[in-house]
Amino acid sequence: MSRRFRFDLWTFVLIGAWTILLILLVWPLSSIVRASLIDNETGALSLVHYMEIFTTRVYQRAIGNTLIAGFGGMMGALVLGVALAFVTTRFHIYGRALIQTLAVIALVSPPFIGAYAWIVLFGASGVVRKGLDSIGVSIPPIYGVAGVIMVFSLKFFPHVFLITSGALAAINRSVEEAAESLGVPPAKRLFKITFPLILPAISASALLTFVLSIADFGTPRIIGRDFNVLATEAFNLFGGEVGGNPGMASALSMVLIFLSMTVVFAQRWVLRRNVYHSNMIKKPERQHVTGLRSAGLHLLAYGIVLIGALPAFIVVIFSFRRTSGPVFQPGVSLQSYEKVIATVSEPIWNTLTFSSVAVVAIVITGTLVGYLISRRPGVVTGALDALLMVPYIVPGIVMGIAFITRFNDPPLALTGTGLIIILVVYIRRLPYSARSVAAALKQVGPNLEDAAVSLGYAPGKAFMKVTVPLILPGIMAGALMSFVTAMNELSSSLVLYVGSTITMPVRIYLSVMDGEYGTASALSTILLSMTAVAVYAAFHLSGRKESALL
Amino acid sequence: MADLKIQGLAKSYRDVRVLEGIDLHIASGEFFTLLGPSGCGKTTLLRTIAGFQHQDRGEIIVKGERIDNKPAHKRDIGMVFQDYAIFPHLTVAENVAFGLKARSLPKAAMDQRVDESLKMVRLEGYHARYPAEMSGGQQQRIGLARAMAIRPTLLLMDEPLSNLDAKLRIELREDIRDIQRRLGITTIYVTHDQEEALAVSDRICVMNKGNVEQIGTPFEIYRKPVRRFAAGFVGTMNFLPARAENGRLMVGSQSFPFAGLQAERAIEIAFRPENVILANRPLDEEVLHLRAEVRKVTFLGREAHYMLTTEAGEIVAQVADPSSDFIDMEGKPVDICLPLAKIVLFDRNGDLVMTGAAR
Repeated sequence: MSRRFRFDLWTFVLIGAWTILLILLVWPLSSIVRASLIDNETGALSLVHYMEIFTTRVYQRAIGNTLIAGFGGMMGALVLGVALAFVTTRFHIYGRALIQTLAVIALVSPPFIGAYAWIVLFGASGVVRKGLDSIGVSIPPIYGVAGVIMVFSLKFFPHVFLITSGALAAINRSVEEAAESLGVPPAKRLFKITFPLILPAISASALLTFVLSIADFGTPRIIGRDFNVLATEAFNLFGGEVGGNPGMASALSMVLIFLSMTVVFAQRWVLRRNVYHSNMIKKPERQHVTGLRSAGLHLLAYGIVLIGALPAFIVVIFSFRRTSGPVFQPGVSLQSYEKVIATVSEPIWNTLTFSSVAVVAIVITGTLVGYLISRRPGVVTGALDALLMVPYIVPGIVMGIAFITRFNDPPLALTGTGLIIILVVYIRRLPYSARSVAAALKQVGPNLEDAAVSLGYAPGKAFMKVTVPLILPGIMAGALMSFVTAMNELSSSLVLYVGSTITMPVRIYLSVMDGEYGTASALSTILLSMTAVAVYAAFHLSGRKESALL
Repeated sequence: MADLKIQGLAKSYRDVRVLEGIDLHIASGEFFTLLGPSGCGKTTLLRTIAGFQHQDRGEIIVKGERIDNKPAHKRDIGMVFQDYAIFPHLTVAENVAFGLKARSLPKAAMDQRVDESLKMVRLEGYHARYPAEMSGGQQQRIGLARAMAIRPTLLLMDEPLSNLDAKLRIELREDIRDIQRRLGITTIYVTHDQEEALAVSDRICVMNKGNVEQIGTPFEIYRKPVRRFAAGFVGTMNFLPARAENGRLMVGSQSFPFAGLQAERAIEIAFRPENVILANRPLDEEVLHLRAEVRKVTFLGREAHYMLTTEAGEIVAQVADPSSDFIDMEGKPVDICLPLAKIVLFDRNGDLVMTGAAR
């Protein structure tokens, strides 16, 4: 009977999912835990690495800097994102679609491109800096903590913007009107009513931007100079030219995971009783303003998104500039592209193949696991769902280190293969795919399948004819977004690549570090174009919902 | 057409019994309503008939044939859902044709059936529309057309109107009743709205806590309740504590002769608000007299409701076509009469003791 068959199929999926997570998540991460607890010299169990963290200044500074970068990036992104969300949802702003598009450009452009573009403008030999210098205005180069926080703020504000605009648009206007009728002035109302109501959205985006900021490796590395954070320190210790110190790198990774986890729990705590269910009666209206106020609001909104999207434009423009070594020359040229095609086309093909293979695997397993989570609840499935949270808080660099230590020797000697790069992307992105399928299935509701069954379709056929067509656009949009993340993955690939498996982000990073800005620009532009095509397709499939990007 | 027999149907979730040995016989072409509060088991019963859930014990027999071992998709049962369950990725016409495709009808016959079904629910001309462009009422019409198009042996409706606003609810329930009569499909309708049940049903089955409380025509359910639960759930009913004693009925400090009440015991007297007569005027029928004070008057246009405090308890009286002086009676004492023929007596267990009419 069909019931029996389904039982077998989903049991098989459940076992398969557990196997995958145990091999690709638990087992590699256990190597980090283990290495962090083993004394390098004696090989005995000890807390020596952790003791070293608390006695060595450079590590303490890394922890402090990580927190500064995390909170700085978070605060900057929150201020910019919430301000933009508020202005665009509550006031009549011309060209809202344009603003959203610019925000999306800022969101999907590779993270380290931002850092690099700001160096092109304000670095030691930055264009703007030099220009200002020639007219007698001298400003310091952007390197250091300020640059890192600025890049994080401008890079991550679109997340905040997209999450909080949704929440702001869903506030019942009557609630705000009620506050006003009770004598609360508008400015006070904003802090007393509006912000508390969207606290779930604000704290969710704060969590996201904090985790993204502390996990980011490329930005502090490129623009931070001597601003060391845990991610860069772990990378140095691991891949250090003289021997390296895997135990110490692992201990720092553990600290990084611990910080992410703390923030996740802190957010849960903030939200412990702040779940508001509101009956939507009146949607908030966009207020029409005129004159100076209108001009100011437009300036604010466009200012934020234009500066956010600026790195993407800079990179494209500079890819067509004539170069001579690391120095840009006047005039337009395709020489950077010629050089890329002639010498470094391998990363392009690697990136495309790795990302495609990873995405196919992600979509297939993600859909099955998502179905399992939403339609077959149980203790074992619940535990699986909880385990799927782990990749959210493990930074790419840590995942890379975990993979290379675990899969270095037989039976699974994968170091140096393309497969290991694919597998890291796969396990890091799988939870997003599974979660989004589970959410999509919750939207469909089991009654639709029941309706099809009552009209004469067997359960399997009803699922194929009704549920699959309804969740397919969501699956495809999710797949394209996974493709975008896979293409732009830097930190784990940087740990895992060898000469023949180099990817575009790694190549761009190395070019920037070597000062080959022309090559970096051209490769970034190609990466950006591929990203844009995928994002456009995702938008098209999801009916222009920006939420598909999150 | 098809009749439906349910015998000894029982179901439990873990140790909660949701259906306790249900027996029903629904005649061919009948409009049969399952009425009860949420959690009474009515939806479980409906979904068990449809085959989405399975009973622990008992049989479901349609046209003399057991169907409870068949999978849901082979039972040939049309279903209308509370949340419409319209396929959002299909047009109106494709939704209606969905069940016909599973039955491999020839194209021409299918088109004709779709046209006919849409015309029946007054949605002709909406073939190419998508459900998202349509209102809740229209979506439920599609749901009705879709279920009717397959000419099912049974039509099941699970609170089809409860997501609609009051006016649409009345309009659509009339349509459902008309269409059901015209096609003569045996229909089982689930609702918690007693007014809706009274308006559409041939017979009503009042359910509570997995049990059948009473089955009867709307008139019987309203006028001749056999269980206290049914009496209280359908319409408004006043209950006052009373005592039976040697052929007499004691209410408060009053005592009335009441033939047939022999055993001495505590009972309850029940009567409808519209059967309470205010003011002590001579009547040509036997009545109970009680003194009361008017606590509150609610004027509703066509009628007025009086909250009264009697010595035995609080009751509501309904006065049709109230005149102006009736309205200023708050706080004043009033004499009330209860015609004996209109009262019903229940015992402590909620079972009928006797009706005033049967005295």
